[in-house]
Amino acid sequence: MKLEVKNLSKTFDTKEAVKSVSFGVEAGEFLSILGPSGCGKTTLLRMLIGLITPSDGQVIKDGVDITNAPPSQRKMGFVFQNYALFENMTVLQNIEYALKIKKETKAIARETALRLIEKMGLTEHKDKKPNSLSGGQQQRVAIARTLALNPDVILFDEPMSALDVATRLALRKELKDIQKEFNTTMIYITHDQEEAFAMSDKILVMDTAVAVQLDTPENIIKHPVNDYVKNFVVENLKIKIESLSKYIGVAEGDIE
Amino acid sequence: MVTLKQKMRSLIDKGLMSKILIGIILLILIVVPIIRMLVYIDKESFENVFGSKLFVNNLINSLTSTAVATVISIVLGYLLAWAITRTDIKCKYLFTILITLPMLIPSISHGMGLIILFGNNGIITRLFGASNSIYGFWGVVIGSVLYSFPIAFIMIADILKYEDQSPYEAADVLGIPKIRQFTAITYPYIRKPMISVVFAVFTMIVTDYGVPLSVGGKFKTLPVMLYEEAVGQLNYSVGSVIGLVLLVPAIAAFLFDLFNKDKGNASYVQRSYHTKTKWRDPLGYTVVSVCSLMVILVVFSFVIQAFAKSYPRDLSFTLEHFENTFSKKGGKFLVNSILIALFTSVFGVALATTTAYLTARMQSKSSRLLHLMAIVSLAIPGLVLGLAYVIVFKKSFFYGTIAILVLVNTVHFFASPYLMIYNAFGKLNENLEEVGQILGISRPRIIFNVILPQSKYTLIEMFSYFFVNCMMTISAVSFLATSANRPISLLINQFETYNMMECAAVVALLILVINMLMKAIVYLIKKVGSKYVDKKSI
Ligand SMILES: Nc1ncnc2c1ncn2[C@@H]1O[C@H](COP(=O)(O)OP(=O)(O)OP(=O)(O)O)[C@@H](O)[C@H]1O
Ligand SMILES: [Mg+2]
Repeated sequence: MKLEVKNLSKTFDTKEAVKSVSFGVEAGEFLSILGPSGCGKTTLLRMLIGLITPSDGQVIKDGVDITNAPPSQRKMGFVFQNYALFENMTVLQNIEYALKIKKETKAIARETALRLIEKMGLTEHKDKKPNSLSGGQQQRVAIARTLALNPDVILFDEPMSALDVATRLALRKELKDIQKEFNTTMIYITHDQEEAFAMSDKILVMDTAVAVQLDTPENIIKHPVNDYVKNFVVENLKIKIESLSKYIGVAEGDIE
Repeated sequence: MVTLKQKMRSLIDKGLMSKILIGIILLILIVVPIIRMLVYIDKESFENVFGSKLFVNNLINSLTSTAVATVISIVLGYLLAWAITRTDIKCKYLFTILITLPMLIPSISHGMGLIILFGNNGIITRLFGASNSIYGFWGVVIGSVLYSFPIAFIMIADILKYEDQSPYEAADVLGIPKIRQFTAITYPYIRKPMISVVFAVFTMIVTDYGVPLSVGGKFKTLPVMLYEEAVGQLNYSVGSVIGLVLLVPAIAAFLFDLFNKDKGNASYVQRSYHTKTKWRDPLGYTVVSVCSLMVILVVFSFVIQAFAKSYPRDLSFTLEHFENTFSKKGGKFLVNSILIALFTSVFGVALATTTAYLTARMQSKSSRLLHLMAIVSLAIPGLVLGLAYVIVFKKSFFYGTIAILVLVNTVHFFASPYLMIYNAFGKLNENLEEVGQILGISRPRIIFNVILPQSKYTLIEMFSYFFVNCMMTISAVSFLATSANRPISLLINQFETYNMMECAAVVALLILVINMLMKAIVYLIKKVGSKYVDKKSI
C-alpha cells in the first residue's frame, strides 16, 4: 500500500482551511500530523477518507486516484475523537455489524469479530454496552470495529485527547503494538509534540492550512526547516524536558 | 474536479428532497389552513364584531378571568415547584403524580367537577350550606386554575431544577438575608423563563372554552363566543375574527420564546443545596397537601356522581350510569377516541421523528426554516386550528372521517413531541452517520439500527404525549366531529347540556382511567428497560 497526497486544498466559503498540502505514506508507516489547534488537521484527514470533498488536489492510493471515491470503497479506517460507538449494541455487535452488512455469512462475521476481540483483550467485555467501558477500552472497540473490515490504513483524529494522562501513556504503547500485530499503516493527528515524537516513524508538521515539514522525528529536531518548526516543535519539547529535568536530573543536552 | 453529478449527489445527501417533501406536508397541514381562515375574514364581519357590545364585553370577561386565574396558577405552580425541588418532604413522586392528574382529563371536566361540588345540589354546598352560586366569574377562574396549575408547576419545576445552587451557599455564608437572596439571585435567574411560563399559562386559559362553557353561565368569554358562533351557528366569518384575536397572545408567547432561548443553556446541577429552616418542610407539606386535596376532590366528585345511584338522594352503588352512557353511543365514541389517539400517535411520531431527523442531523440552511415550521403550531390555539380546518375541509369527502381528526390532532400537538425528539437526536453522537459512510452502512440502516434504538424512550414518551392529549382534547376536534367520528371527550359537554351529570362524570372517569393506564404502561416499559440494561452491564 502506498498513499500519495498531491496539492490537496479545501476552502470553506472563503476560509482556506487546507492549502495545497502534499505528502506520501509508505506501507506499515506510522505518520503523525502535528500542528496547533485550528490549523486544518481534521479537514485534511477528512479529505483523505472522503468525508469532505477537496476543493482541489488528489488523493492517490496504490496508483489509483480515489479523490472522489465513496469513503467505504477506499479500504481505509477512521477512529473518531469521541469513538462514535453504537451505544445500543454490545461490543461484539459493534464489531460484527459492518461485516454482516457486507454479506459475510453470520459464522464468518462472528468468527472474525471474536478473533479481534480476543486480540484486543476485550473478551471479558464482549457482551457489555460501550458506555460501561473505560475510555481506553472504548478506543480499543473503535479500533477493532475498523480492523474488522481489514483496512490498508487507519486514520486517527486525536483519539486520546479525551483521556487522562496515565491512560494516554498506556495507549501509546498499545497502539504501536496493534500496528505491529496487524501490520497496518496509521495516520495519526495530534497537537501534542511529545505524543508525536513518542509514536511516529514520520511527522508532518503543519502551520495554519499548510504543511511545513515532513521528516523523521530525529531529522526534525536536528534540522528544523524554519523558525516556526523550531519554535513549535523543538523549543516546546525543550521546555517540557527542562521543566522536568530539575527533578530527575536529566541534562538539557541529552535530547540530541 | 467536482462533476455536476457529484454536486447533485451532495445535495441529495443533505436530504434536500426529503426536506422539501416534509416542508410541503407541514405547509399544507399547518400554514395553509391558518391563512385560509384569515382570508375568510371580511371587512363587514370584522367591523361588526369589533363594534358589537357583546364582543367587547366578552373580551373584558376573558381578560379579567384569565388574568386572575393565571396569577393564582402561577403562584400555586411556584409554591409546588418550590416544595418539590427545594424541600425534603417525603413521597415527592406520589405527590407529583397526584398533582399532575388534571393534565389527563379535559378542561371541561373541571368545570363539571365544580358543579358537582359547589353547584345547587353540590356535595360541598350541601355539607356547608353555602348558597353562593358557582356559575360566573369565580367559577371560571377556579375551574381554569384547576387544570392549569399542574402545567405551571411542571414548567416552573423544570426551571428551578436547573438552577445553580452555589450562589445561595455563598450568600448564606455571607449572612445575606433570604429576602435579599430572592431579589438578587433567584429573580434575575427565573425572570425570563417565568415570563415564558406566564405567557404559556395565560394563552392556554384565554383560549379554552371548556370551563367557561360549563360553569360560566351568563359570564361568557371569547372562546365560548367563537364556539357558539362557529360550532353552533356555523357563522365562520365571525368565528374567524375572534380566532384572529385569540391568535394574538399565542403568537406573542411564541415569539417571546423564539427570541429568548437562553433557558436551554442552563447547566444541569445535580447537587441540591437547600438550607433547612424550621418552617420549610411543614410549609412544603401544606402546599402539596392542599393542592393534592383539590385534585382528589374533583376526581372524587366524578367517582361519587358516576357510581352513586342518584346523587344526592340515593348513594347506593350502581353501574347503571355506565350502562346508560354506553347505550347512548358512548361505546362507539370511546372506540373512536382510542382509534384517533392510536392513529395520531403513530402518524405523529413518524412525522415528528422524520422532521426532527432532517433538522437535527442533516443540518443546512433549509433546516432552520423546516424547524420553524415544525414548532409554529405552538402559536395556534386548538380552537383556531379547528376553525381553520373546518373552513378548508367542510365540503370535502374528508369531513366527518376519523382521518381528519387524526390530522388536526397531529398538527395541534406536533410541536412538543417534535422538540423532544429534536433534542434527543441532537444529543446523540454527531459522527454516527459518518461511521456508517466509512464502514459501508447505509443511512437508513444507521437510522433504524442505531439512532432510533438509542432514542426509544423518547419515542415512547412522544407516543404517550400524542395519545393522552388526543383522548382529552375538546378544542380543535369540536369543529370537525360528526356523529360518525365523534371522540368521547365531546360527550361531556353534550351530557351536561341535557343535565345528565352522571354520564358526564362517567366519561371523565373513562378518559382519566385510560390515560392513567397509558402513563402506567410507559412507566413500566422504562422501568423494565433500565433494569435489563443494568443487569447486562454489571
Ligand atoms: N465546515 C466548515 N465550515 C467552515 N469552516 C470550517 C469548517 N470546518 C473547519 N473549518 C475551519 O477550518 C479551520 C481548520 O479546521 P480543522 O477542524 O481542520 O482544524 P484542526 O487542526 O483539526 O483543529 P483542532 O485541533 O481544534 O481540532 C478552522 O479555522 C475551522 O474553523
Ligand atoms: Mg481537529
